[in-house]
Amino acid sequence: MFNKKLGIIDLSKNKITIKQTPESLKWLFLGGRGLNSYYLYKMIKPGIDPFSPNNVLIFGSGFLTGTLVPNSSRFNVSSKSPETGILGDANCGGYFAAELRYAGFDRLIILGKAKKPSYLYVNDGKIEINDARDYWGMDTTEIQKNLKKNLGGVEAAVCGVAGENLVRFACVRTGVKNAAGRCGLGAVMGSKNLKAIAARGTKGIEISHPEEMLEVVEQLKDYIMNSKITSILGSVGTPLLYEVSNTLGAIRTKNSQLNAWSDSLNADVIETFVEKMISCSSCIVHCRHRNKLNGEGPEYTALGLLGANLGIDDPAQVIELNNICNELGLDISSSGTILAWAFELYENGIINKEITGEDLHFGDFELAKRLLYKISRREAFGDILAESTRNIKRFGEKSKDYLIAVKGLPQSDPHDCRYIKAFALGIATSSRGADHLRSRPTLEIFLNLPKEIKERIYGRGIPNDPTSYVAKEKTVYFSDNIFAAIDSLGICKFICHGFNSPHFVDYTWMKKLIHSASGWDFNEKDILEVGKRIIDIERMFNNREGISKKDDTLPKRYFDDPMSLKIAKGHHIDREEFNNLLLRYYKLRGWTNDGQVKNDRVKELEALM
Amino acid sequence: MKYLYVYPEKCTGCRECSIACSLSKFGECNPKKAAITVVRDEFNRYEFPIVCFQCEDPVCLKFCHQNAYHIKDGVTIRDEDKCIGCRLCAVLCPYNAVTTIDDEIIKCDLCDGDPKCVKYCSTGAIQYLDVTDELEKRRKKMAERFLEISKK
Repeated sequence: MFNKKLGIIDLSKNKITIKQTPESLKWLFLGGRGLNSYYLYKMIKPGIDPFSPNNVLIFGSGFLTGTLVPNSSRFNVSSKSPETGILGDANCGGYFAAELRYAGFDRLIILGKAKKPSYLYVNDGKIEINDARDYWGMDTTEIQKNLKKNLGGVEAAVCGVAGENLVRFACVRTGVKNAAGRCGLGAVMGSKNLKAIAARGTKGIEISHPEEMLEVVEQLKDYIMNSKITSILGSVGTPLLYEVSNTLGAIRTKNSQLNAWSDSLNADVIETFVEKMISCSSCIVHCRHRNKLNGEGPEYTALGLLGANLGIDDPAQVIELNNICNELGLDISSSGTILAWAFELYENGIINKEITGEDLHFGDFELAKRLLYKISRREAFGDILAESTRNIKRFGEKSKDYLIAVKGLPQSDPHDCRYIKAFALGIATSSRGADHLRSRPTLEIFLNLPKEIKERIYGRGIPNDPTSYVAKEKTVYFSDNIFAAIDSLGICKFICHGFNSPHFVDYTWMKKLIHSASGWDFNEKDILEVGKRIIDIERMFNNREGISKKDDTLPKRYFDDPMSLKIAKGHHIDREEFNNLLLRYYKLRGWTNDGQVKNDRVKELEALM
Repeated sequence: MKYLYVYPEKCTGCRECSIACSLSKFGECNPKKAAITVVRDEFNRYEFPIVCFQCEDPVCLKFCHQNAYHIKDGVTIRDEDKCIGCRLCAVLCPYNAVTTIDDEIIKCDLCDGDPKCVKYCSTGAIQYLDVTDELEKRRKKMAERFLEISKK
């Protein structure tokens, strides 16, 4: 379990150092997101420019990544985000992370900036910095195909043209569609002249108790496979959620001017475009659609943000926009949010043709497609849009009122958070900005779930009413903690307790899996503490960059404009209720009323490190 | 007699079969150190599990100059004590079903009737079934198709 190394690559000095990650650190943070966040806090000085060589870029696999543990494919890419200027972190599946471990490494920390386009080749314990001039300018598929051809069966994490051109929401991609999508980490690759990391390895992951792992996984597999939600996710994938949100009237539509959209993007329609459902490494859910339009996807996020949010209802067009974002290496969530923002600003006359160079309007597939290409190459108006939420400065203060973002990060979830209050608190407090994968208590959406089940998971006093503010800090607190733990183990959230199901991998399962792999006797509380530690250290990073209560807020529209359609009609977020909810959340976390990690806790954590 | 039958159309490429095989045989998780290999390429859009067919007239057995292979109850078994590690079997197997890595030669022995690959497959892409005429026809067709592909 501990035969994998830490590689530190200084691109400025062309220097490679190979180390062992101290076991004491793994006890504190496990791996993946947790250890990445630790290193960011430790290594990045506050106030640096994310595009400067001083920024640090980390690719870290989870504690259990690449093992027999179901859905253990994941890794995190972390850095200071060029989109937000705070903690940047994105979790990703596929086959790259498992291969990185088979190649002998848990984690790569990349420093400095290469003098010329470069890529890293990681092969059975060795790391090389190689010339990537021939690969520069290639889209994400082309470069991966070429790396496979030239190096043999490698798995690669790459940036696309968007990353090369420092688009502030460029993603890191592996395979046809797996992305470390959020926070512009592909642009950090570009800023370091790093086009790709290719890994290939034949070294296995040593397991402390093989028989025990075989047994625990057999039980866990049966448990997961027997759930109804598993077979639904395995046959239709995340598009399932589109209909659920749309029925409620909670699909962000045309920059949240509306809250419901066409049934033409429902899962049963999307299914007709699916050739085969496929998996990430070790995955037993297989939610990836290999589509008939030569790509993979769409996920629910693409349906919402490249469909409803842009006013497009033709599923084939949405899938094509999805495939284009994947090829160019653009984050779908930010792309769909920023385009919709610009469209509404243009319609309202807040920006005009002098800036945009052409008419902007919703529902125009060709326009959206053209703009995605322009953004990736930073051409004309695309060069402006590539600056993402920083355009508030250019477009004027008024433009901020129409922006669906928190802490400079466009909202990822196509779900309009005015109805379900816990979702709103989640995106307001997430450590990377408006994002649902940090803490979304998805179970809130299942209106018929018995109160006892929610109380058993989240604690007492949770009303079975998603529109109530009462005790919702507990649902976010629980989800924040357990998602941080599962991200650090390298297991997909899809089988995490409380994400899609009231069952699945909880702290007891985690304890068993950790023991079988490493022989370590963690108990449930120890793993919970890992999660809490991660949330705190991420907050410490953000506090140091100036983040406080004033930033834990929501798009203005969520407060001031009641929703207009369906069940959610009339709902909005009440400022006072939200403020009280936020304060209760801080109290639960032990933060100050201004959202700062308390000095004692900072000292305690720094002493542990 | 029961054999492994593969259904590539159901294979999602996850490699739990290979990882379970390596874990049970070697105590490590390593899809490349397994008697079953999933050949996959998401860019060219295929997933295909490669298993030992337990041939009636196995090349691995026929050409082994140490007589390290024998057939027991329809399963071709490699005797580790006789094997000198020359890898001829791996080179000659027309289906690439004998794996070599780290000085190991890995040949499927059907886990004494409880194949781990089948147990950990979540889609039924690998099944352990009693021989029927129909299944045998399918298995032979699969082998022929595989040979055709490997000639290309």
